[in-house]
Amino acid sequence: MLFVLFFPNLDSAKLPWLNPGMAKKQSKAPSKKESSSEAPAPKAAASTPRSSSSSNKKITTSSTAEYFSKNLQQVGFSSQTKAVLTTLKEAVDNALDACEEGGILPEVHVLVEKVGQGSLKNSDQIRVRVEDNGPGIDQDDIPKVFGEYLASSKFGRGRCSRGQQGIGISAATTWAQLTSASGAKVITKTKDMRKAVSCMVEVDIKNNKGVIKQRETLDWDRESGTTVEFLIDGRIQLNGEAGLLNYLNGTSLVNPHLTLTYKLPELEVHTVDRVSNTIPDVPEATEPHPHTMKLGEFIAHSHLFGQTKVSGWLKKGFSRVHEGVLKDLTKTGGIKSSLLDRSLSTLTDAEFKDLFVAIQNQQLMAPSTKSVISIGEEALSKSIRRLGDVDFFSVLTRKPTICDFKPVQIEVAIARLQDKGIEAESAVQVIRFANRVPLQFDKSACAIVQAIQSVNWRAYGLAQPKDSVPQGPYIIAVSVVSPFIKFKNASKETIDASDELVEELRRALIQAGQKLSRYIRKEFKANELEEKLRHIEQFCPILVEGLCRITKAPDSRKKKAEEGLVKLLGRDARDTEKELNAAAEVLEAQKVKSDKAADAAEAS
Amino acid sequence: MARAAATDDAIPKMSKELCNRLLMDLEKAKRPVLYATKCSLDNANYNPKVGYLTPGNKKVATELNVSSVKKMSRAIFMLEILLRNLSTGAVNTKRELYYISKGEIKHNASLKPLDFADQDESDSIIDFICEMLECYREEVNCYANDRGGQTYSQQLVVTETLPDGDKAVVDLSKLGTSPFQPKNRPQNLKLSARKKIDFCLIVESEGTANTLVANGFTKRHNSILMGAQGVPSNAVRGWCKLIQDQLNVPLYFFGDLDAYTMQNIFRTLKAGSAASLIRNSDFSAPDVRFLGVLPEDIKKYDLSDYAVKENDAQEVRALKKATDALKNDPFFQDKRNKGLSQILKWLLEHKRRCEQQAFFMVDPHDPTMPEKIIVEKIKKGNYI
Repeated sequence: MLFVLFFPNLDSAKLPWLNPGMAKKQSKAPSKKESSSEAPAPKAAASTPRSSSSSNKKITTSSTAEYFSKNLQQVGFSSQTKAVLTTLKEAVDNALDACEEGGILPEVHVLVEKVGQGSLKNSDQIRVRVEDNGPGIDQDDIPKVFGEYLASSKFGRGRCSRGQQGIGISAATTWAQLTSASGAKVITKTKDMRKAVSCMVEVDIKNNKGVIKQRETLDWDRESGTTVEFLIDGRIQLNGEAGLLNYLNGTSLVNPHLTLTYKLPELEVHTVDRVSNTIPDVPEATEPHPHTMKLGEFIAHSHLFGQTKVSGWLKKGFSRVHEGVLKDLTKTGGIKSSLLDRSLSTLTDAEFKDLFVAIQNQQLMAPSTKSVISIGEEALSKSIRRLGDVDFFSVLTRKPTICDFKPVQIEVAIARLQDKGIEAESAVQVIRFANRVPLQFDKSACAIVQAIQSVNWRAYGLAQPKDSVPQGPYIIAVSVVSPFIKFKNASKETIDASDELVEELRRALIQAGQKLSRYIRKEFKANELEEKLRHIEQFCPILVEGLCRITKAPDSRKKKAEEGLVKLLGRDARDTEKELNAAAEVLEAQKVKSDKAADAAEAS
Repeated sequence: MARAAATDDAIPKMSKELCNRLLMDLEKAKRPVLYATKCSLDNANYNPKVGYLTPGNKKVATELNVSSVKKMSRAIFMLEILLRNLSTGAVNTKRELYYISKGEIKHNASLKPLDFADQDESDSIIDFICEMLECYREEVNCYANDRGGQTYSQQLVVTETLPDGDKAVVDLSKLGTSPFQPKNRPQNLKLSARKKIDFCLIVESEGTANTLVANGFTKRHNSILMGAQGVPSNAVRGWCKLIQDQLNVPLYFFGDLDAYTMQNIFRTLKAGSAASLIRNSDFSAPDVRFLGVLPEDIKKYDLSDYAVKENDAQEVRALKKATDALKNDPFFQDKRNKGLSQILKWLLEHKRRCEQQAFFMVDPHDPTMPEKIIVEKIKKGNYI
């Protein structure tokens, strides 16, 4: 596993030890290593009290693990119900990412059960077990994966993997350790191992290191895979937006290739079979675009390239920077050509800053969109049926685009459920995804919800109170995929609502709404026809009888008038029938078009 | 369809004609279309010769189709009830008609599809019938609760012809402090004067009208004094018209100086409203003059006025409506009503208002001071 070196998604202001400039300033003496290629990584340094000549107060440094163990609320452990959900989520995300990396169709088994009373007040002790058929973990990597913060193969690589930072699963281990005094129980086997390894992993909080205990080998009936089990304090919430079922349903929706079996308290074992045999091909990362970086990240990025020339670093280390850009930097950007020929390690902070500012002022091509991954309309269409009995649905995949100088792809699925028990006036169910991970908290501030509220759904036949999400038995699922999703917090619950992203989401929702409205229109026309036929049946005799009573007309006139009225209104009904047929044809044309597109996509 | 003549059998006759035409169209499988006068400001003309708003040529067409068959069936059902009332002389309010229709449906299961969910539904059907027949709802014996129009006089005598042909004579001077109150259909009344009546004063506030009478106004002046009670009801409008036509006395309106009074109360009293285009001829008194409060009265009598409250929705709406009225209302656009439109402009410009009761501040020790000012204004011709 690669230890990651720069952090485009983390707010360095919140985590000051991530700021390389600050690191340099604070530690003059032991900074030789820091100037090497591994320099700014948050070292799992032991707590080293140092004395200051100017003050009697001791300044201590804390390890990453210490920081997070005291701030677990920042990474999704702010309440007992959230603790259970976050633990499950981190374990499932890791399992799915591992399967995708290994090119394996994932089969994931989930068990969440109550095993007793928890040590915290009003809590239960919960067992969370997730088992996958992924490639397994090398023995040496087990403590890093489950017991070391920011140890990740994914961090800052610019790929659309679910996990990004290498925090979540270690935080789950820490939570288990803090509440149940036991870490994560892991069983894993790679193809190359004859026997599986079983062990307990704990976090050495002082040193940010994973510690293995009770290691043993055992026979396992599979080629490869990993099982991780946590005993944690928490409370189980099954239903509602923050419920486990919502998470598992959402995960099934955006992972059509997943077979998921789960056993939750008070529910039977349930299996959701895969509807696609295509393993998503996660595109390789592209180099970062200079316009998406901050100065600190820019400097930290240089440390990856050691003694390389500045010009070489700029061309190889960034996307959209080529010879022409370098020429412009010297011609119009005020950068001396001699600076570009120097070694990176000789540049001062001031020179880095000048270079950074000059690049920011250059017109560069927008970043490539090749690094995003989509589920695809066909797979979404199949997957959405797994959510329950669906009347009709529309799915939409937007072309990848650039928002806030970052590649992003939006996909939307809207389905109407057959469950008539859902009240017509209750808000639709919104399922949000970021890099194929369901987001379940703090929805009001999320870009996705803001975009949904900004669309006029009444135009598509849905009820909608002013400035709110629409109402009715619908599910609106929105997926945002990007290697650089900007979250509002480290627990990745809310996507930051930039104007550009909200507009892109809005367009996707409008297109999906238009597709959906064709179903609703057809249904509306069918209802209209039914009502008209009912009207003819009910009111014709009443109207004619009333007219005859007032005019004292004989029965012969009455009969003739009744026949005339039925004939007259029958024409109206036939007109509606024609409109209904026209609406059905439009819908059929839409289906044919999407089928053709799916075939074309498959062929390519 | 022409406006129904005000004879007793006109409505039943027209109804039968209408139903017969509908039936004939249906027999031929031809789609019947009903036309009604469009009652809105864009179809209102101001005819200075007659002095009230008259309908233009615009008609609203209602075609019988699958969507309107329910409405049409309900209308014929309600028409039958109204015709029955006309034949027996029974009268009802809209609320009572709602319950009568519910009762009919209860006793005849085949009528169940016609059932009204609430009174709004049956009210709209009654209005639809009146638009089709171009008649007032009072003409189909549907009366609203009598409101406003409490009248005092020492000279006025009212003779009412009752349904059975008997005549009732009411001498208002014999009523003591009790007022006479006109019915919603005052056309059945005959007016006469025991002595010459000099003027008729219509006061916006019924409370102020009562105060003036209690302080001896009608004893000191040969007059008719009436309280309008806000926006004039059909009873008040028809009553004023009757006084104007039968007694030929000058009429003066005394009310607040604000946009609402000018547009909603005084304009309706003088020229009718856009919503009642087809009945303005019988329910407006074009001779009535605006006695005040006039803008110049504020300065002349040093009256207390105050700014329009920005957070009072009704007042703000009235000012906005005044802007529209100056642009679109043919009554205010007519040069004969220039004085009234000048008041509206003054109100829009100054955004201030002054109440009729402000006259009581001129001399707090003299309860008859408002009376003196009113009479002085009438004598000096200080009105519009």
